[in-house]
Amino acid sequence: MDAAPDAPSSLPIPTAENDLQPFFVLHKASPPRKSAAKARRRIDLSPKTCDSSTEQNDDSLRLETFNSLWSKTESIIKDVLKNLNANVFDEIDKWVHVSFNAIRACRKLDCFSATSPYPILNSASIAAAGASRQIFTGLLFTKNMEFVDDTLTFADLGVHLRSNGCYVANLTSLDFSAKSGVGGCLKTLLRQFLMVGIDAPDMSILASWYTEQENYESPLVVIIDDVERCCASVLADFIIMLREWVVKIPLVLILGVATDVDALRNILCSNVCSYLSVREFALGTPAERMDAVIESVLLRSESFSIGKQVSTFLRNCFLRHDGTLTLFIRALKIAMVQHTYGETLSFTLTKIVDEEGSKGFDGENILLRDIVLKRALNLPSLQRFCQPSARLVDWASGLSELKRLRTLWSSTVMCLYEAGKYQKISLLDLYCELLEHDQRYSGASDHTQLAKDKIVSSHNNHFHGCLQKEGYVIRAFQIVRDLTAVKLCKLLNRWELLTRGIKEIHEKVKELQALMKSEENRPKRDLKEASKKPTARNLINEKTAKTTANEKVATFLQCMVRQYIQPIESIPYNEIIFFNNVDKLQTALIGDPRRRIQADLLESHKFVRCSCCSKNSGVPIPSMHDTSIMYSLAQEHGDLINLHEWFHSFKSIVSLPPLQAKRRARASPSPKKRKNSNEPQNRNDAKIQAAFCRAVTELQITGLLRMPSKRRPDYVQRVAFGL
Amino acid sequence: MEFNDIEEEEFGFSRNYFLAKELRGSGKKSARKLSEINLVDEQELREAYANIEPKHEKEINDLLNSYKSSYSEWVFVLRCGFGLLMYGFGSKKALMEDFASTALTDYSVVVINGYLQSVNLKQVAVTLAELLWDQLKTQRKSTLENLPKNQQPFHTRSMDDLISFLDGPHLEDDECFVCVLVNNIDGPGLRDSETQQYLARLAACSHIRMVASIDHVNAPLLWDKKMVHTQFNWYWYHVPTYAPYKVEGMFFPLILAHTGSAQTVKTASIVLQSLTPNAQSVFKVLADHQLAHPNEEGMPFNNLYTICRERFLVSSQITLNAHLTEFKDHELVKTRRNSDGEDCLYIPLATEALEKLVQEISQ
Repeated sequence: MDAAPDAPSSLPIPTAENDLQPFFVLHKASPPRKSAAKARRRIDLSPKTCDSSTEQNDDSLRLETFNSLWSKTESIIKDVLKNLNANVFDEIDKWVHVSFNAIRACRKLDCFSATSPYPILNSASIAAAGASRQIFTGLLFTKNMEFVDDTLTFADLGVHLRSNGCYVANLTSLDFSAKSGVGGCLKTLLRQFLMVGIDAPDMSILASWYTEQENYESPLVVIIDDVERCCASVLADFIIMLREWVVKIPLVLILGVATDVDALRNILCSNVCSYLSVREFALGTPAERMDAVIESVLLRSESFSIGKQVSTFLRNCFLRHDGTLTLFIRALKIAMVQHTYGETLSFTLTKIVDEEGSKGFDGENILLRDIVLKRALNLPSLQRFCQPSARLVDWASGLSELKRLRTLWSSTVMCLYEAGKYQKISLLDLYCELLEHDQRYSGASDHTQLAKDKIVSSHNNHFHGCLQKEGYVIRAFQIVRDLTAVKLCKLLNRWELLTRGIKEIHEKVKELQALMKSEENRPKRDLKEASKKPTARNLINEKTAKTTANEKVATFLQCMVRQYIQPIESIPYNEIIFFNNVDKLQTALIGDPRRRIQADLLESHKFVRCSCCSKNSGVPIPSMHDTSIMYSLAQEHGDLINLHEWFHSFKSIVSLPPLQAKRRARASPSPKKRKNSNEPQNRNDAKIQAAFCRAVTELQITGLLRMPSKRRPDYVQRVAFGL
Repeated sequence: MEFNDIEEEEFGFSRNYFLAKELRGSGKKSARKLSEINLVDEQELREAYANIEPKHEKEINDLLNSYKSSYSEWVFVLRCGFGLLMYGFGSKKALMEDFASTALTDYSVVVINGYLQSVNLKQVAVTLAELLWDQLKTQRKSTLENLPKNQQPFHTRSMDDLISFLDGPHLEDDECFVCVLVNNIDGPGLRDSETQQYLARLAACSHIRMVASIDHVNAPLLWDKKMVHTQFNWYWYHVPTYAPYKVEGMFFPLILAHTGSAQTVKTASIVLQSLTPNAQSVFKVLADHQLAHPNEEGMPFNNLYTICRERFLVSSQITLNAHLTEFKDHELVKTRRNSDGEDCLYIPLATEALEKLVQEISQ
């Protein structure tokens, strides 16, 4: 154990023995250091003067920050998703209990077999009682091909049903593999219901478990989360097996389906389908979930957030590449890791939320405060916008100002989103557009105002023409203008709810609401008069009244956007909250081995950083890494590489003296002339051939080459074309 | 803008592919044979292979050392619950093991060598469970009673039980974990989907952290989105090392040692020379027949027997069979069926190679 702390000083000497072990224990945990680290953690917030432990101190502070940030965010996300599904889950729960009662009703008729300890139905009793029996099956449409987004949903559903007195087993398509067969899924099923592993799974075990205990009163639910990926025959067998027992074991199936109701018919034969009594449920779309997550994590919560480049990148990922919410959440987590690791001040994030950060560090930690202030001075946003003398004083007020501006920003986005909902504008789009904000909104709204004054009649056309250019915000303005009075009232009510606690906006919303009420009252009177004496004039009045109200609300919205949507980069201390290093995030989130590994080979000098190779861009020279030379040479071939030629071009490059190399790098693959002395030549040949062999092997390991086949013994095949 | 870039990129890719295809068809199609290379002796080649002079040793060392400054970040990422995935050209074995033994001393570390032909994950899981058990015991001496006392030994438990033990909530403090270092998680021993599923389930355990390396450009195809996003939870690091794939390449045949017919002839003649003169003569009968009738499927057994008896090479079918078994074991002779449905014996070598072989054993 004592040896472990000493080990770091020397490089591990990989023993040949360990290299050939399939696995081995490199070292065991060293307990003394562990406890020391723990002790340090406990006191890490107290003033420290010892420099040696600063690093460790930093690390534990970072970890603490990350853990507190992430656990908060994670629980927010979980709650949001759970709330989104709450209605469907309740519906399913009701249906499960109704189905259970229906099964029980039939069961009571069959009194004898139900109470016998090991109820095994004979064929006669199946024919008598069970022939018309169907398994109650809920199809839960996920509206999402990416089943990874739904694993949490199905787990949540399991928890929900369990809390409502059901026994639940969550199965996945992996349990329905052809290899393990129906026994495999039964095993998992029993494991989950009975909480013990059983070697010889059989339904009778489940039946006896169900009758023996007080389990008797609860329905059994089996959830299969991606039924379309199950092995069809195994699933069919499973259903047939369940059906045989459906009288004894009141089992309800819930199947996750990504496509539509036809999916079942596609996997199962009609006979098996007829055993299922199907009821359909549907989850929300991925886009809805995304918006809900953005709303709660990035807008409503007051801690960590992402800047414009990162959000645009993630939007692209979601819309064009990966398409999963899971990736988005994972990206948030990675961003949080990078933020807490890279940004020294990130730890104040936890305090901002607790309202402490704005108060400063009084009484807590004087030394920490010094470090913080020193770092704060270097924040680019502060250097740009603050007077040097004011910096130190500004810390507390700066943070609270940042917080205030952010709240205003978020509420404005939420108000816009509320309006945009009428035309299904997604929050993701709106959010990204607002982050990219330059000065255009103030300008754009004026511009539309002008345009409107000029050509009121062609107003709509004008807008539709501009739509793509002006984007979602302008569309939101237009939606507000076009809303009916009732909808406008609703919108204002929503705004009123959203902006509670934000004085600046809330009061104005109240004013607008009051205005709407008075307007509402007036048209009513108008309407009464109009009913008596309908004139064109009255109609026009009514119309103008409506448009003025709408116009007022729209103008208010525009004002809000102009006032509160300002570029985030301009707010002092924004670096503490907003993470915007998109390159770093991207490399950690989505590795690109195909491109990167090839680039490593073709541009090896960039990484090796030697003085010799970097001058020859792209042209292979002898001093380069052998595999690099070989791969560069391979670029000149078609999809098949003749080994003989390849070898000779490699040989001609490697055996060139360094000076000539540059000139003759692209020399034709001609065999080198024989030298007179045979012995050293032979040794040299061996060297080159060995280097060639190794380069081919390394290319094979990287998967960039396919080895010669029997049909083409003299050729290798290229696999990748272009970066 | 970006969308156009992507399209452009994809277009470039397909263009490259078709250009490459075209180059094969129209370009100077050379039929140069590998055997035309003046190959050195295999032993000499292997010797040279073992002693290849490293290029840029200093720079590569510097590169490796430059990653040391990232160790603390890597540990931080691990502690945050991610798995580290190292990729880039060059063997990352030494780098990862150095990282583990300098920066991960607080945790137990198990190394899996995926470049080997087969790895028994069940045994790995047992070892992991035992390590975790030890770690838990030392960490909470005071509250040891919370752990079940008389438990089943790990090696008798099923994989599912082991995984649920590793995933179990033994401590509120998430800091107690065992590190699994997988060299070449895309290696031949781990490449099948079942193993990858198990690895993913292991990686998802709350008391396991995984550090893995990939070398194959298509390695990500091993995983679906569930595995990548929720189980492995990879945090990618691009760490080209340019270190030679010494151990990783150990099991790959040398391209200039095995494929050339020269080598096959050589091994064949070595085998034949170790056999009795009679056996050699039997082989020669077969070879002569094959050279005389290059278009036939081979020589029917009875014909061979008749000729061998005539020449007093064998006395009975049993002796002939004994010789043939020997040949077949060394893959010198194979059987196939001719159009009449007779089993025919043939030597799986090209005519020129066979000529060379006959020449060699006749000397």
